[in-house]
Amino acid sequence: MLLSGKNGIQSAFDEELQHFLYGKECLLDELPFSRELIKKHVRLGMITLRLGVETIEKGIVPIQIGSKKWVCRRCGNTDPGEFGTVSCSQCRKRCVYCRHCLNMGVVRSCSRLATWSGPEPIREERPWRDAKRICTWEGTLSDQQKMAADRLDQSLSSGQSFLIWAVCGSGKTEIVFPAVEHALRRGERVVLATPRTDVVRELYPRFQNAFPKVPVSALHAGSENQVPDAPLVISTAHQLIRFSHYFDRVFIDEVDAFPYHFDPMLEYAVRKAAKEGAPFAFLTATPPPNLKNAYLSGRLNGVKIARRFHGHPLPEPKAWWIGNWKKSMKQGIVPQSFMKWVKQKSSHQVQLFIFVSSVSLLRELTELLQREGLGHVAGVHAEDPDRHAKVAFFREGKIRILVTTTILERGVTVPGAEAAVFGADDPIFNESALVQIAGRVGRSERRPNGEVILFHNGRTLEMVRAQRHIKQMNEEGGL
Amino acid sequence: MNEYRCLFCRGPRDVPLRFRTLLAPVHPPGLCRLCLEKMAPIDRKACCLVCGRDLRQLKLEFIRHNICNDCMRWKKSGRGRLFGRNRSIFSYNKMMKEMMTAFKFRGDALLAEAFRKDFRDAYRQMIGIDPKGLWNRMRRGRWLFPNERYVVVPIPLTRERFIKRGFNQSAVLAELLGEPIIEALSRAGSQKKQSKKNRRERLLPGRNPFALNPRAASAIAGRRVLLIDDIYTTGATLRLACDTLEAAGPDRVDALTLAHG
Ligand SMILES: [Zn+2]
Ligand SMILES: [Zn+2]
Ligand SMILES: [Zn+2]
Ligand SMILES: [Zn+2]
Repeated sequence: MLLSGKNGIQSAFDEELQHFLYGKECLLDELPFSRELIKKHVRLGMITLRLGVETIEKGIVPIQIGSKKWVCRRCGNTDPGEFGTVSCSQCRKRCVYCRHCLNMGVVRSCSRLATWSGPEPIREERPWRDAKRICTWEGTLSDQQKMAADRLDQSLSSGQSFLIWAVCGSGKTEIVFPAVEHALRRGERVVLATPRTDVVRELYPRFQNAFPKVPVSALHAGSENQVPDAPLVISTAHQLIRFSHYFDRVFIDEVDAFPYHFDPMLEYAVRKAAKEGAPFAFLTATPPPNLKNAYLSGRLNGVKIARRFHGHPLPEPKAWWIGNWKKSMKQGIVPQSFMKWVKQKSSHQVQLFIFVSSVSLLRELTELLQREGLGHVAGVHAEDPDRHAKVAFFREGKIRILVTTTILERGVTVPGAEAAVFGADDPIFNESALVQIAGRVGRSERRPNGEVILFHNGRTLEMVRAQRHIKQMNEEGGL
Repeated sequence: MNEYRCLFCRGPRDVPLRFRTLLAPVHPPGLCRLCLEKMAPIDRKACCLVCGRDLRQLKLEFIRHNICNDCMRWKKSGRGRLFGRNRSIFSYNKMMKEMMTAFKFRGDALLAEAFRKDFRDAYRQMIGIDPKGLWNRMRRGRWLFPNERYVVVPIPLTRERFIKRGFNQSAVLAELLGEPIIEALSRAGSQKKQSKKNRRERLLPGRNPFALNPRAASAIAGRRVLLIDDIYTTGATLRLACDTLEAAGPDRVDALTLAHG
């Protein structure tokens, strides 16, 4: 099937297929086109195929028994526990599949992944590019924010990646607007990626308002705001798995957001979605070691913003020993000094975030606090179906104490709320998690102070690091 | 190590450090305590002697001589005459539903590994080579003669569904038993929609979607057949399969299913 192109010349490819596949990577079976058409494009070199799951040979001894290692080419998974084998109906053999990206349709060792390797499609007219202002955000940046925004744009425009290391509550989102505007004017495709669905939900309307003429797509599990060919995409890193060599500029927000750190799959997805050589902008309060070292040694451009927008310091967390809290929880007893603190705060009408390490601990602690006669205590975790309702009640002040396993939406700025970590010696609470937890407190201009207490049974190195981190940030911010 | 993570939720498993687990080169994959607690195992001493449902969840008026009402109705219906009994490992609760979704519809076949031991134990009980069965036979002086082994037959999918899903979940479960598997049945594609049938067709009992694989007939004649399916719902599917097998002349047909509900 030959189709004639716009200028009358016979183009040797199907434009619909081109538009569908360009910049993406799809399972061959998922392509809604006929087998013959696809085969023809493969022969022409317009579609490139590769195996979905392959073996990686380790070292010189190729494949010893039991040491077989697999890699999923779609999501980058190499964890042996995240592969399974099954008698496959397609290839009629024992077939390996990737468990890590199952929710996007199964990838097996007999699956083929298809990418477009023909010419780039002609893009639709984009009249908004000629407008004097593409970004119509009316707010103003502080001097410090403006300096960061300018340097960010300069760096990215010259193809260099950039780190924005900014304390929680410094207004990171607004800092990227000028760089996004510049990219859009140059006709680039821009993506803002984050590990968290919450953040996509929160950022999408803000970017829509700031760039009212520009088509914006929001991609997260179950999202409905997808515009084909949108030049500005707000996405979870997860959803970027479908893309391949597509974006010219990549902004990564909250690279290390607690409790999502260290999923190598997300990094793989983001790298795959970017065009070769595309510059990255990393926005974070607590850069992971590799970024931090690159920045400190000068290999990565960047800027540090140590002051919150209201100019007050970050609260420095205090560590309080409460003995063996695991044991006392097993006996159904809340450690006394913790209970005393909670009661004292409640009597002063202070709303509390209490962070815990696991869902089971969350349930136990919530129940015990409720039994203590502290009304309006609720527990919320990442998969809680009532999560949004509970958060709304907390924001309205109907829930006074919120026990949680996860940092809530960034929009949760409850004036005057204070925070505790119950069992801060659990390894899940590393430096960056603790710094982000401290960042939840004192976010409003009217009530910029508040306590952050780490209740523990033995101070950990990570706790010390977090305390040092915040102290240093405050010093650098001249506070 | 991966065997220390839960197959389903990926949380830590707290594998106990016993002498046996210390020596084992790899600990078998499985679920964590939290996930296990959400499952509803069926006690084989408190289940319907025919369909294997958990009788503790049933009102007494629906039970007679350890057989549930539904099963008595099946007996009267005359269908599935060779059908002996079904044994299910778990009741179909919310957790089981979630696991089935991941296993069948998302295609995470590896989850079956979480039930390998339960499935094998149930099978051993059915053929009487579990410790208790052995003891019973010894008492009766018949310990050399365990029940005859079963011919294991997984319930097939239609061809279209099999291709689309990529695997047959019943076959995956059957493989857990470590016995040879006989693909004795095939399943025909979608039946006419109820709305497209005329009145006469609608009143007829449903067409049996199963067909006997003639090459497997000799393996079944005079033997005990064990049908494997993922879930026992009304028992209709298993009885239709049983009726189809009847032509090959099996001695009796039992079933082993992962869930009941
Ligand atoms: Zn994968
Ligand atoms: Zn295969
Ligand atoms: Zn689990
Ligand atoms: Zn019954």
